[in-house]
Order: sequence, then C-alpha cells, then structure tokens
Amino acid sequence: MSVIDKKFGDRYDTPKTPVAFDVTDLNNFYYDMQHCIKCKGCYWVEHTYSPGMNFPVRCASNLWNDFDAYGAMGKMRIGLGVQDGKLEWTDKLVEILYACTLCGACDVGCKRNLDLEVELTLEALRIKAVKEGAGPMPAQKKIAKNIELKGNHFGNSEPRLKWLTKDIKVADKADVVYFVGCSSAYANPEIAQATAKIFNAAGTSFMLMKDEKCCGNTVYSVGMYDEAKKIAQENIAAVKATGAKTLVTSCAECYRMWKVDYPKLLDISTEELGFEVIHLIEFADKAVAEGKLKLTKPVDMRFTYHDACSVSRLCDPWKPYKGERGWMGMIYPGLLRRRGRHGLYKQSRNLLNAIPGAEFVELIRVRENSFCCGGGRGTKEAFPEFAQFAANHRMEEVKAVGAEVLVSACPWCKNNFAQSAKAGDENIKVMDIAEIILAAVEI
Amino acid sequence: MSINKQAYSAIETIVGGKYISEDPAIMEGYRSGPGGYENGTGYERVMTTIPHAVVMPKNTEEVQKIIKICNRYNVPYVPYSTGFYGPRTHCHVENELIIDLKRYKDFEYDDKHFYFDVGSGAILAPLQQEALNKGAYTVIGGGGAQCSAICNLIGDGWSPLSHRIGLPHRRILGTELVLPDGELVKTGSLATSDDPFWGEGPGPDLRGILRGFTGLRGCMGIVTKMAIKTLPFQPEPLVPTGIAPNTALALPVKRVKWLNFRVPTKEAQIKAMFDIGQAEIAAALTKVPLFWRAIAKAEDKEEFWDIWLKETEESIANFFIVRVLLVGYTSEDDMIYQENVLNDIMTELGGVPMRTKPSDESWIKNADSAGMWLMTGSYVSVDYIIESLTQATVHGNTYAELKKKYTPPLMPDFGDPGWFQSFELGHQGYSEFLIYWDHREDTSGVDQFYVDTSKMNIKHRYYTSLIGPHQPLFLTGPNYGPNYHEWLLKLKNEFDPKWVSHPPVPLAHDDFVNKAPWMHAIRDWEFPEELPMPKW
Repeated sequence: MSVIDKKFGDRYDTPKTPVAFDVTDLNNFYYDMQHCIKCKGCYWVEHTYSPGMNFPVRCASNLWNDFDAYGAMGKMRIGLGVQDGKLEWTDKLVEILYACTLCGACDVGCKRNLDLEVELTLEALRIKAVKEGAGPMPAQKKIAKNIELKGNHFGNSEPRLKWLTKDIKVADKADVVYFVGCSSAYANPEIAQATAKIFNAAGTSFMLMKDEKCCGNTVYSVGMYDEAKKIAQENIAAVKATGAKTLVTSCAECYRMWKVDYPKLLDISTEELGFEVIHLIEFADKAVAEGKLKLTKPVDMRFTYHDACSVSRLCDPWKPYKGERGWMGMIYPGLLRRRGRHGLYKQSRNLLNAIPGAEFVELIRVRENSFCCGGGRGTKEAFPEFAQFAANHRMEEVKAVGAEVLVSACPWCKNNFAQSAKAGDENIKVMDIAEIILAAVEI
Repeated sequence: MSINKQAYSAIETIVGGKYISEDPAIMEGYRSGPGGYENGTGYERVMTTIPHAVVMPKNTEEVQKIIKICNRYNVPYVPYSTGFYGPRTHCHVENELIIDLKRYKDFEYDDKHFYFDVGSGAILAPLQQEALNKGAYTVIGGGGAQCSAICNLIGDGWSPLSHRIGLPHRRILGTELVLPDGELVKTGSLATSDDPFWGEGPGPDLRGILRGFTGLRGCMGIVTKMAIKTLPFQPEPLVPTGIAPNTALALPVKRVKWLNFRVPTKEAQIKAMFDIGQAEIAAALTKVPLFWRAIAKAEDKEEFWDIWLKETEESIANFFIVRVLLVGYTSEDDMIYQENVLNDIMTELGGVPMRTKPSDESWIKNADSAGMWLMTGSYVSVDYIIESLTQATVHGNTYAELKKKYTPPLMPDFGDPGWFQSFELGHQGYSEFLIYWDHREDTSGVDQFYVDTSKMNIKHRYYTSLIGPHQPLFLTGPNYGPNYHEWLLKLKNEFDPKWVSHPPVPLAHDDFVNKAPWMHAIRDWEFPEELPMPKW
C-alpha cells in the first residue's frame, strides 16, 4: 500500500496503472513522455556545474541541430505523437530519432529534477520504429548485416585475433576473460595489445573467448531488439561456457552492453548474469591500489580525459522493474533510479593522477555532464557529419584547457576524436586509457 | 490554410534553409504540453496549438526583417527563447510562426561598469557563472536557472536574493525592442544618444509599456538585447559538488553561508525580516513553502510524499522559519558583523538556530524551479504580489483558505501559506502562491481556482501582478483601473494594429473563458459579446 492510500484512503482515488521498464512497448513510458516540462535539463550542463557562456550544453544532437525536436524535450513530444497515432513516420522524423548517440546526457539531466525515464523512452521509440519498418538508418542495417554474416561490426573477414602479438601471454583457462570487442580487434589493435599487456604486467592470468563475436551494441542501440537479444543470449552462454568469473572489456560500449543492456534484454538484473562485468579502468585501478600494477615510468605530457558515456552516466547496474503508478504519479514499490552515479569517474581519475611525470587537467564538462564525442552507437555510420560536428566541438574544449593529449576509455571515441584532430590539423594526440596506463608501466 | 508561401520563402531568404522549418515532426517539438509550467490545464488544451513554421534568427536585424514580413503577409508570430514559460509562450492560433531566439546568444561583460549585454538566447546559469568569475553576481530568478535572462527579467526575475539586489526592473539598464511592426527602439544604456525613447530621458517611458508589471508575454514585440546590471560579490570561489539530484555549491563559510532560524510566531517571523532589513544586513531573506524543504530532502517523488504526509495542519500552522543568506561582501569581518547583528535580532525574538548545510542547493546559481514538478507532475505560480511585509503574509493566508475548496485536484498542502520574503531590505514584502496537481486528473478545478484568485484579490484589494495577459482582462481591468483594460487595448492597437504579435494576448484568458464551457459558471463579470480583436 502506498503512503497516500494509508493516509487518505479513497479521497484520492487515482486509478493505478502498471509500470514496467520494458522497452518493447513504448506505452510503458507514456507517463514519462507526458510529463516532460521543457526545462531543458536534458540540454544544459547541470546548472550548478554550468561553466559560463562557453561550453554550457551537454546535448550533442540538439547543439548540432537547434530545433527543439532534436533535444529530448522535442523527442518526448514526438514520442507521444507517434504513440497516439498522430504523427506518421517520415524521413525527417526518423532522422530526428537517429541523429543522436543515446549518450544519456538527457537522462541524467532529467533525473536532476523529474526522474523521467528519458533514455528508456528513446530506446523504446527506436524499437517501435524498427517494428513498424521505419528504422533503422540504411548504414545501420548494413552493420547489423555485417554482424549477422561475419560476427563483427565491420564485416571484416580477417581472423579476430590478428591483434594478438607473441609477447602477450594468454591462458587457456583463467578466472578473467578479456572481451576484446570489434573495434579493438580490427580497427584499434593498439588498445587490445595495451590491455593484454596490462593484465600481464599486473600478473593477472586472462583468457580470450574462442570465437568472440560482436557485443551487438549498434544492433541494440538502433532498436533491433530481437536480433540484439539473440546476440546477448549467445554471448552470455559463451562466457558461461568458459567458466570465467570476471569479464573485462576495454571498450566502453561493450561494457555497457554486457553490464546494462544484456540484463535488460533478458529481463534479469546485472547481478544475475552469473559473472562480474568490469572495464579495464576498474581492473587497473584495483591493481594499482593493491600494488600489483606499478605506474612508475614517467610520461611527459599534459593530458586531459573525456568521460565516455558508457563508462560514466550510462553504466549504472540494471535491475528490472515492475510495479504500479498511482496518485500524483508515485510508483509502488519504490525504485532506486539510475542517475549515472555508478560511473567510473573516480577510478579513471585515480589512474590518471597516478601517471608519473604527466600533468592531468580536467575538461570543462566532466563526469555525468560530459559532452558525447558523437561517434557511438551506430551514429557515426549513419550521420558522419553529426559525429564530426560533435567531435570538433569537444576538441575545442580540449584546446581551451590547453591539453596536448586527449585520453578516453572507448575506441569509438578515440577514432572519432582522432579523425577530428587530423581533419582540423590539430596538434593534439588522441589516446586510449589503456595506452597511457601501459606507457607508465615498466615492462 | 498555411503561412503564405511567399512569406515563408521571404523569411527563408533571411535566415537560410537550415534555420526555418515547417516539417510536422519539427513542429511537434514545439508543442506546449502536455507537461510543463501551467500545462495540463484547460488553458493549455484549449488555447495552444503547434506552429505552422519555426524560424531561428541570429540577430536583431534578422528579427526585424522577419517581423516586417509577418506584418506584410498577416502572419501571426510568437517569440520563443527557451519555451519554458508554458502555454502562454506557445502558439495560440492556427498558422502561427514561432520565432525561436535560442541562436541569439550574444554576450559581453563590461568589467568596469559591472553589467552585461545579452541576447535573447542567453540563459541565467551561465551568466551567473560569468558574473561570479568577475567577482560579481546577479539574480537567478524564481523561474529557474534555465530561463532566458531577458525573458525572466521582462517577466519576473526575482528570488530571495532580491532582499538586497532589489526588484528586477532596477537591474535592466537598457533594452533593445523590436516593436510589433518591426521598428527598432532602444532604451536606457542601449539607446543611442539622440533617441527620444529612453526610460530615463525625455519622451515616453517604453520600459513600462513593454514590461508592465510582469510583462506582456510576447504581445508587444520582441526584446532582442538587454543590458543587465550585476553587483559586487565576494572573491572566494563557490565550488560545485555532488551528483544529481544532490548537487550543490560548497560555500566558503567565512564569506558566504545560509542560516536557518525557527521563531515562535508569525509576528516574530515578520519582525525578524523587518529588523534584518532595517539593519541592512543579509543577501537573501525568505520563508519558502514548507513542502520545498521536503523536496530538498527527498531523493525522489515517493520519498517526498513519505516526508510531506507526516505533516498536519497543526504542524504547518506552528512552524515559522526565517532563512537568511549572509555574504561577507567586503571581508570576513563584514561577515562576522552581520552574523552578530543577526544573532542579536534572533535572540531578541526567541529564534532558535536550525541545522544548515554549508552549501547552496538553490538560489545562488541554480534556482530549481524544475524541481517543483517532482511532487505531482504539474505546477504553476498562480499569483505573486508585492506589498508591505505584514500585508504580504495576510495574502498568503487568504490564498490558503481559498485553496481548500479546490483540494483535490490540488495537492494537499495542509494550509501552507506559500512563499513570502523581504524585498529591498524589507521595504517591500513579497508573497507568491504556487499550486500543484496531477494533470492526469480532471483539472477543471485548477482552471476555476486560477480565475477565482483574481476575484479574491479584487475582493481583498490585494495588488496582484498577474493581471493583463494572465487573467480575463475584462474581469481585472475595470477593477484595477477602472480603465486598465481600455488603456492596455489602446496600447496594443496603437503598436500592433494587425494583432500579429502573439494573438490573442492580452485577451487570451478572456478568449479561454469563452471557449471553455466549464468556466462559464464562474463568469460573473461584465464582458463584451465579441472580444475587441481581429479573428484568427
């Protein structure tokens, strides 16, 4: 019984409606769409942290296109229109929906005051778009096809372990399994190599999956729910078959998929996966704290750090929720909202501050207020111009703090930023956090 | 029917194809409701619609050109900066053009004279940070840190910090106004030297015309630029801490601190505010609705109600708080002096200090108006008045009494008499009354309560600020004038003879009462058979 029932009985007799965090039905988020107040907490950096007139925005999509429709406040209204059958799918509507990285800035911004489930609403809206034949974008369909046929994002036919060099020790059987991910396996072997060498340097025995396949990040992100669920089931079964207790990723998006979206797809909690999911940041932070990994080699650089969305505001553990909503919109039973509190903010900064000889300087928008690189979740492939705009905008911030090196914990960020730096002829180097950690390790 | 094709093309030529749209999905993003300030009411449902087109000019010249085209082709338009102020800043008639000013973010700070010039798209939180960076500060109005500074200052623009900084119109040093026909006038510091329309100089005072008491909500053209005064603050940094929803500014407590006192009676509460003002201490001085305290404590909606429903009419009636912000503007010694004076006043009045965190959650940089929706889903400030300190509190009690009749659908607040505070070192008292409801319920009672408050104000002769565009003009005008309504309509007809600037404001609430059958039962004032305005 909710608190109002106890106090006032039938004086306030709002009929109760079911609530479920089930993204396969947009109607589950009708209340959320109906209660957006256009405060644009989804758009601005949280006001307490507002840096001033430079870099006050956190929504890449709405900064790229200024019409309100491109912000979450517009998409919530559009979602209602779609759900009520008042808006038809058009090319423009689909563009509005997909020219967005689902970076979660809007979601944590909304949860400053309103506790609306914006991220889940946007996911559900894309799932509906796919069900009704409107989505995803052609370039994203191609990625899904690549994964179906070749098991990787790029449709690459080369061996997935091509990155593995002879100086890396890999165990046949270990408690730790390293899930490399498509980007590090094919496009960024330096990240996979650095990660593996960090395991070796810390004395941690690790294994690789025999036939690793894509985590399905883009497939889920663009709304292809059934395909993503199949991938989740297969990948989880494969990890369980290894007997590993801990799965480590070096890719932020793989991390979020394993930790948050796989449980969501299977209607279980993160805890119920049967094994622990951690990012390299967590592994290295713990290893340094325990003295297993020693960062002793000086690295002479002034660097800054970009909080990749999937290791920051998007990575709170998942827990299924079913309940009912009643008077004044209260839900029962109560719920601990996902606010981005479990982001790996502290761990990453512990590591970066421990790099000897280096000068770590923070960006202006950090932690849950970070500005997305624009490259993730299938967005760069479908909207390269948008992805480049977002990366260029973030690079302006890097320049404003006077950093020589931009570090991130996601290969998709690294690639998008690197492309921006190259195109802009910037004298800024882009590195993954695995690389900078390894640079500080005496091997 | 739609906006004339020639008009659309002409406007497109001004801003370029990227900054104008009539796409249905884009237009849906500019729907007022169903959530938001005053949304989920009959007014929102009856009076608002989506635009036919949206245009985003980037400077005054473009705004002028667009408005001239609107006049030439009879295209109704409404200015829009952040879209936060609910249905009254959204389209009211079919085939209307939204002039979205968010791209107009010009900003220039004059360090020497402590003011900034801003465009319509600049919002308050970043501006406050810019001011703090220079050792100055301004007010984040109760509308919230996300509001356009210009819109907030044309309209409301006050907060507990108004105790020292003063009323909003005193901070407007100059405005640049595009009149409803596209002509440009400048006032105050933004006026050219030979411009007769200068608030402080010879000629008509346009400051009053464009702003009235709380603004005309877009029916008298568009303010495109404003010079806003800031005031000296203190030099220590205020450091942001925490993660949402528990973010705050950590305060340098030797220079900035909030203090709460509980006093024994309402009389002591008022006397405390009067004495603090007379002693010319404190940066902010207020008593906010008590449920705001519960909002501040609660992690989420469910926890709010857990906390709030423990209250009773008796507990609310006997809780008298005085909340004070002290700022040692010139030195730590200044702070010590103010705190000593404050303690003397409180000792004399029987005030007991309460636990206060060494941080600022709201008002200095983050007026948290958006948090007001947490409790119920729907909210509006139904009235605000500026009176003497004693009279302001009487106003709150009258409101609380009237509100009982409409609860539910309004949320149970156990007779909380709302927000009141000192303005301008106690020279004025401020009372604001806010109502909350769930817009999924039958909201007829909310609509009726809104108009009933006008009748209450008239009956008790309170000086309400929400007349003109917020209430039926033919109800309030004869009672506040007796020809206030005629004066306002003459101004409207003079400056906007075609009524293209946000029709049907200032007769929008009259129009609403006419169109909403559930409002007819309470319409007991004289009104014309046909409202004196063009049909749209």
